[in-house]
Amino acid sequence: MSILVNETTRVLVQGITGKSGSLQTKSLLDFGTKVVAGVTPGKAGHEVYGVPVFDFVADALRATDADAAISFVPPLAARSAALEAIECGIKLLVLTMEGIPKNDVLNILNYAAPRGVRVLGPGTAGLIAPGVCKLGAHPGRMFIPGNVGVVSKSGALSYEIGKTLTDAGIGQSTVVALGGGPIWGTTQKDVVELFNEDDETKVIVLLGEIGGAMEITAAEFIARSVKKPVVSLIVGRSAPEGKSLGHAGAIIRGTKGTAESKIEALRSAGVSIAFTPAEVVNTVKKLLKL
Amino acid sequence: MKLYEFQGKELLRKFGVKIPDGILCEKDGILIYGSPVILKAQVLSGGRGKAGAVVSCNSQGEEDAALTRLFEMTLKGEPVNAVLVEERVELSREYYLSVTFDGEAGTPLLIVSGAGGVEIEETADKHPDRILKLPFDSVLGPLDCHLERAAKFVGTPRPREFADLLSRLWRLWCEAGALLVEINPLAETPNGFVALDAKIELDDDAEPRDRAFRAVLQKQQREISGRESAQSDTITYVPLEGNIGLISDGAGTGMLTLDLLRDRGGRAADFCEMGGLTSPEIIYSAMDRVVADPKVRSLLIVLIGGFNRMDEMAEGIVRFVAERKLKIPLIVRLCGTMEEEGKKIMKSADLPIYDDLEKAVEAAVAQAAMTGGN
Repeated sequence: MSILVNETTRVLVQGITGKSGSLQTKSLLDFGTKVVAGVTPGKAGHEVYGVPVFDFVADALRATDADAAISFVPPLAARSAALEAIECGIKLLVLTMEGIPKNDVLNILNYAAPRGVRVLGPGTAGLIAPGVCKLGAHPGRMFIPGNVGVVSKSGALSYEIGKTLTDAGIGQSTVVALGGGPIWGTTQKDVVELFNEDDETKVIVLLGEIGGAMEITAAEFIARSVKKPVVSLIVGRSAPEGKSLGHAGAIIRGTKGTAESKIEALRSAGVSIAFTPAEVVNTVKKLLKL
Repeated sequence: MKLYEFQGKELLRKFGVKIPDGILCEKDGILIYGSPVILKAQVLSGGRGKAGAVVSCNSQGEEDAALTRLFEMTLKGEPVNAVLVEERVELSREYYLSVTFDGEAGTPLLIVSGAGGVEIEETADKHPDRILKLPFDSVLGPLDCHLERAAKFVGTPRPREFADLLSRLWRLWCEAGALLVEINPLAETPNGFVALDAKIELDDDAEPRDRAFRAVLQKQQREISGRESAQSDTITYVPLEGNIGLISDGAGTGMLTLDLLRDRGGRAADFCEMGGLTSPEIIYSAMDRVVADPKVRSLLIVLIGGFNRMDEMAEGIVRFVAERKLKIPLIVRLCGTMEEEGKKIMKSADLPIYDDLEKAVEAAVAQAAMTGGN
């Protein structure tokens, strides 16, 4: 089994008529994701690559059986759209947009949590379960089905490692990107926990970076509860102090959030540390006894 | 956007929080003020107290001398161009309070301590029991029980006023679009609470909601710092010490490349990341910015497209190389969305491409070494 999505996942695209929304809808359809509806206020009755467009999420759910949503709604309107999707009973919501005001993000997450809605992002490339479902921007051809579960803050880094694994003939169960922060609906610990319970996943790859303490929380959880082998690559070892490197959360303050502190915590939790994509692959190979 | 103390205090005052009487004195200003006063250098960096940039004065003579000295100071690269002059406040106790957020838990956070004036992160490490962190629901705001608990924790004899103050900070946080609202220290005086300092950071993403207000703050900051505020495009550019120009279309792969370069004995001249949604124009201007650095001996561009389209990236690169007659070796790793189209465009312009990141990194290090320089 994959995590978060499966063969029956039916997807609603919020902001489907926008430039990014329509292009990504095509890419989802090409991959084989069951995109059943789109929403853009004022565009009811239109179609995007054959997908019917509705004004409201409620209308889309009356006409189709979507259970997951991916949003391409621009930052300042993202909150309204997300709350609407949550209100209507969507269970998995992927927020791709960067630049959503932080208080709006907190509103979305705090509205979602008590309603049992899983939010991925914001600012995330989403996820891909090769051969099953894609709910994000991952280039489909860089991934093949298999037994490695990958979780990454960075979308691009998750493609990079997916591609390196695939080139070596090693498939993935699900590859999940969380977003660059500084606020996350889903954390590394959350995804590691899901992989830990997933029969198909034999090895977990955790891709982290400088800044914050999310990797430390994940390490604590791994030490406590994870029996499966975990391989980790932490980027930003050579980053300067006090500068945000592309992700708002990727910043070293004093001795806090350094790659070393995370590597140390993961290593003492029994995680195998890799320093390059090739090392990730070699370690995974060994662990899978390939 | 970080605010100067005086801007933060003005904002606090607007939301009904008492601040000391004071005036802002700029560099060429003359200060005539009744003593005793506190002079506080207005800079955005922290640690002013330790650096001697907060001075207590008892006479006009002391004030003049202190002011002259403060205006000669540079704190962490920031010249002191404004000084806040405030009345001294008689206080019985000091507290710490702030509103911020916990990014992992995805909640806003109220933090209070009965030990005001301290370095809060240090206290959090050494004496976590002296700090109370209360997560709450951002839709509802802090509940009465949160506010009452905070007041009880710090042990103030004015629990109602304390709770009222906290709810005002939360309102400010929401309405001004803040990331951090911190009062450290908050003074308890016979006449109630007074904010002796204000550390406020606003969310740049919330700026479009309140442009007029932000413009006022930005203008004040320009006048004091003498610098234009950083322009807001999607490009992150951080200058570094090495000689290999680096551009990436993702923060994670950018940082990975930075590490791989160093592991192979090379050093990046910059960290330049374009974000996940780019265009030919954006990569063109990223290249422009990176090669403007005279240290750059080779240019490494690392692209792995998800939302990004490789045809658009190739188009921007080819146009830049042709129009700007790029002289240094160019190493491009390009794969992902619309990869075939991108490769075709690069090929027709006779520009080589790499598929493997580590090979591209090796080439960039070798080329930079061959072209010499440091």
